[in-house]
Amino acid sequence: MHFSEDDLREALKRKDPGEGFTQRTMARVNQAKSKTKPVLARPEKKSNGAFMGWWMHRPAWAMAVVAVLLLAFGIAGYQYSEYRHAEEMRMARVKQQQLQQEAERARDQAIMALEIARAKMNHVLRHAQLQAEPNDKIRRERL
Amino acid sequence: MEQTAAFEDDRLNLALNRALTGDAQAFADLVREHQGMVFSIAYHFLQDRSLAEDLAQEVFLELFQSIDRIQSPAHLTYWLRRVTANRCIDQGRKKHRRREMALEEAPEPMVASAHADPMLLERLQQSLATLPERQRLVVIMRFQEGLGPAEIAEVLEMPVNTVKSTLHRSLADLRKGLTRKIREVRYAFF
Repeated sequence: MHFSEDDLREALKRKDPGEGFTQRTMARVNQAKSKTKPVLARPEKKSNGAFMGWWMHRPAWAMAVVAVLLLAFGIAGYQYSEYRHAEEMRMARVKQQQLQQEAERARDQAIMALEIARAKMNHVLRHAQLQAEPNDKIRRERL
Repeated sequence: MEQTAAFEDDRLNLALNRALTGDAQAFADLVREHQGMVFSIAYHFLQDRSLAEDLAQEVFLELFQSIDRIQSPAHLTYWLRRVTANRCIDQGRKKHRRREMALEEAPEPMVASAHADPMLLERLQQSLATLPERQRLVVIMRFQEGLGPAEIAEVLEMPVNTVKSTLHRSLADLRKGLTRKIREVRYAFF
């Protein structure tokens, strides 16, 4: 059985959801709307009027406290930056030491490798000389 | 014809603007205008009338909550198609085909046009239900909504070439499925 694109269009024609769909949807929307209650105004926090008033009437004190706080923050900030700097320096030194140790280890290994190579070469050379000696004697006798 | 379209657009624009100010009647007009589209996408995807109605209502509820993000009637249509498609996929994953169907939930008999074979149309719908979710949505968007590949790609967030190949494969699968169904019917008879 074959079908054309028109048949498919016909099969997938828009359908009406039926009577009352809009009303049912709106009822659901209204229900959702009523569920989301309006945000009640928060009760005002008890203001610390007396406390603020005390500071308002003593501006010099307020300025002094602000200055002390600023100074404290400044000193704390400076000390923290110093500490950070010292820490970075220490880390750099440790790293340098590690690098130096690694370099020394590498140098020792290289020297040992050369020693081994030299010993091997001597051994091979000695063998070669021992094998060459009898041949030389024969050659000399023939001459 | 163009005048009618322009008038329609103006009407929808007005309804949208009024709905944005919280006018419930204007929102109801928007629902009435688009309910056929939303419900049909859901119905053709889920093949279940009550689930489709539920899903369509949820889509409109979501629209109500995010109406301030809608910029124009065209954007509204695009938004509704996209949200419906996403919800269809979610719904399809949730239920793995609860295929019982009450009598009143059965699809309404189609108002068949003079040339359409009602049996063929029913079989086509049945075969459509067997397609994978994405393929089904692509076919629905193409043949129910009449969208082009680029528009489908935008709604379903897929590359255009994927849409084209999916459409091609879906039609082939539908043809295959339909032929298999006919054979099954023949075996049942003989």
